[in-house]
Amino acid sequence: MTLPRLIFVTGKGGTGKSTVSAALATALARRRPTTLADLDGRHAAIRLVGAVAHDTGAAKKNGAKNSTESAAALDVITITPHGELETFIERIVPLRAVSRRMLQSRTFGYVTTALPGLEAFLVLERLRQLAGQAALKDRFVAIDAPATGHALELLAVAGGIRNLAPAGTLNRLSSAVEEFLIDRNRFGVIVTVTPEEFALREALEAAGELRDRLNIGCVGAVLNCVPPALFTAAEIAKLRRHEGHARLADRRHESAEFARHARQALERAGIAVAELPMLYAATLGAREVATLSRRLAIEMIIQ
Amino acid sequence: MKTAQALELGDRRLLICLGPGGVGKTTLSAALALNAAIGGRTVDVMTVDPAPRLLDALGLTAGDSTMQTVSLTGLGAPRGARLRALKLDPKATFDLLIERHAPSASAREAILANRIYRNLSGALAGVADYMAIEKLLELSSDTSTGLIVLDTPPAREALDFLDAPRRMLELLGSRAVTLLSAGRSVLRGGFSMIDLAARAVLTAFDRLTGLHLLGDVQAFVASFDGMYAGFADRAAQAQALIRDPRTLVVLVTTAEAERVDQAVEFIEALSKLGLMLGAVAVNRMMAPLPDEAAIADADLPAALKRKLKRNLDDFAALRQRESSALDRLRASIPAGTRLIAAPDLGHEPRRLADLAALARSLRVVDSDEGEKECC
Repeated sequence: MTLPRLIFVTGKGGTGKSTVSAALATALARRRPTTLADLDGRHAAIRLVGAVAHDTGAAKKNGAKNSTESAAALDVITITPHGELETFIERIVPLRAVSRRMLQSRTFGYVTTALPGLEAFLVLERLRQLAGQAALKDRFVAIDAPATGHALELLAVAGGIRNLAPAGTLNRLSSAVEEFLIDRNRFGVIVTVTPEEFALREALEAAGELRDRLNIGCVGAVLNCVPPALFTAAEIAKLRRHEGHARLADRRHESAEFARHARQALERAGIAVAELPMLYAATLGAREVATLSRRLAIEMIIQ
Repeated sequence: MKTAQALELGDRRLLICLGPGGVGKTTLSAALALNAAIGGRTVDVMTVDPAPRLLDALGLTAGDSTMQTVSLTGLGAPRGARLRALKLDPKATFDLLIERHAPSASAREAILANRIYRNLSGALAGVADYMAIEKLLELSSDTSTGLIVLDTPPAREALDFLDAPRRMLELLGSRAVTLLSAGRSVLRGGFSMIDLAARAVLTAFDRLTGLHLLGDVQAFVASFDGMYAGFADRAAQAQALIRDPRTLVVLVTTAEAERVDQAVEFIEALSKLGLMLGAVAVNRMMAPLPDEAAIADADLPAALKRKLKRNLDDFAALRQRESSALDRLRASIPAGTRLIAAPDLGHEPRRLADLAALARSLRVVDSDEGEKECC
């Protein structure tokens, strides 16, 4: 897969967005310095790589270096809508006393809430800046984004803002953000999917929306939790008299079969697929993420 | 199974299902609604999830946001039982609300055409939450309905949904609104220096960003002037409905570490709002594992036996992961809250009968003995 500077990982809830973005960032970090950014507000991906979450401001100051062996060149940041609004206000109102006063005002809070998509737009603007810096320094950025529905709304915001602001700072920014989102070298989406009917459907719908409505590049799908095949259909047939074990074997077999079907459906829709195995482990932590990252590097041919 | 009905509804009239995204909240809401209907009640189920999943499982037309009746044929429901399903359209509900409360036709037109309103009603997070509650009030006024099951949008915070009426009121009734709509009269007093400063920075913000929205915001707020009382009244009713003793709040989650974290946050948020948590439903629980000894005794080729053993070990690891997540959830649940479990079907319910089976297989997870005792 050809990777853009910034990779935006989304998918249906429960398909492993955080795990995949953590594994992806870890894999990328073995090749180039990489930033893992949490957009989800939950820091799940950041915790999975064994780092401590910092808010936007702190991360900017400290560089927030991570210390795990697998990720010597991995740093983590979190991006929050409110944090981005603060940064924006500080930028357009250079007098600190005034900008602080604005941010503390309840009135201002109400109005920015009422300005549809402003905060979301500023998040996109931040992603554009991150990608720009990454291009200059030959880095990668992996984003643990919200679930598909919210993510698509977020990505559609830039056009809306340009319509709202006919001139001025935001109008200029919105064109830049729109250009960024459709630039295959700078921005691309990875959709996570598990071998389940609804997850597959949502992934296909999301990929369709990206292509047809938003003209945004879909790097590919990560088909997550694929059970390593163990039983043949003939073997399962032999288990008929061993009910409990048959059910378990069947479960694994069906899931593996559905994964195959999902892969075909995605590929038919023109989406490249990288597969990650189901990890039968009692915990899911930094070690498991490292395992997945190695597999992902091979599947995605990260060089 | 410990009890015939893991979730005892008694005389409840409203069941609210809350929880993080991707846990099967919509499916479980539908199953609970169907089960109550099969039990003879007249039930309405409403989903606010943008994906038409619930309607799919119920065999209804996706994309239709009117109330549709679900056929209960062949499910053994007594005469008079009824199940209807509705997919919420927040924008349409908001428009209807404006039409109902607008003091005049011209006021109504002004609001519906306002740039802020058009964006606010479509895009602003929180409006969908508020509209779900508005629709809920409407449904609850239908006396033919015995039980309403409400599936909520996947929220980052439970507060987002349950707190929506209060936040809406706060926005409309705030000093900001008065301030913005006051125009020139601001200069004649009644406003603090802070308000004046806020107004000045807002004006600056408007100019710098190029949004030129201040005028629109003012017009929007002013147009709500005559409607505030109507909104306040609805919001108060909604608050009362959510807190009614005949309302049951069910938190839906799965036994995965990350979802449990989120569920615990929901529980804390609910208690901050002063809301009673009726039950916690853990969806997609693994079934008990088969006996390892059975493998050795089985008359099967050795290679297949080795595979069975490996498969069992694999699933045992997953089950261990699940049970540590469940332990953590259990430790965070307020005393006396019922913990119920729904089994993992292995696939999404495809037919109505699957949903009915799912609801029937809900069981109570005993807080002392753990789930080992169940089934």
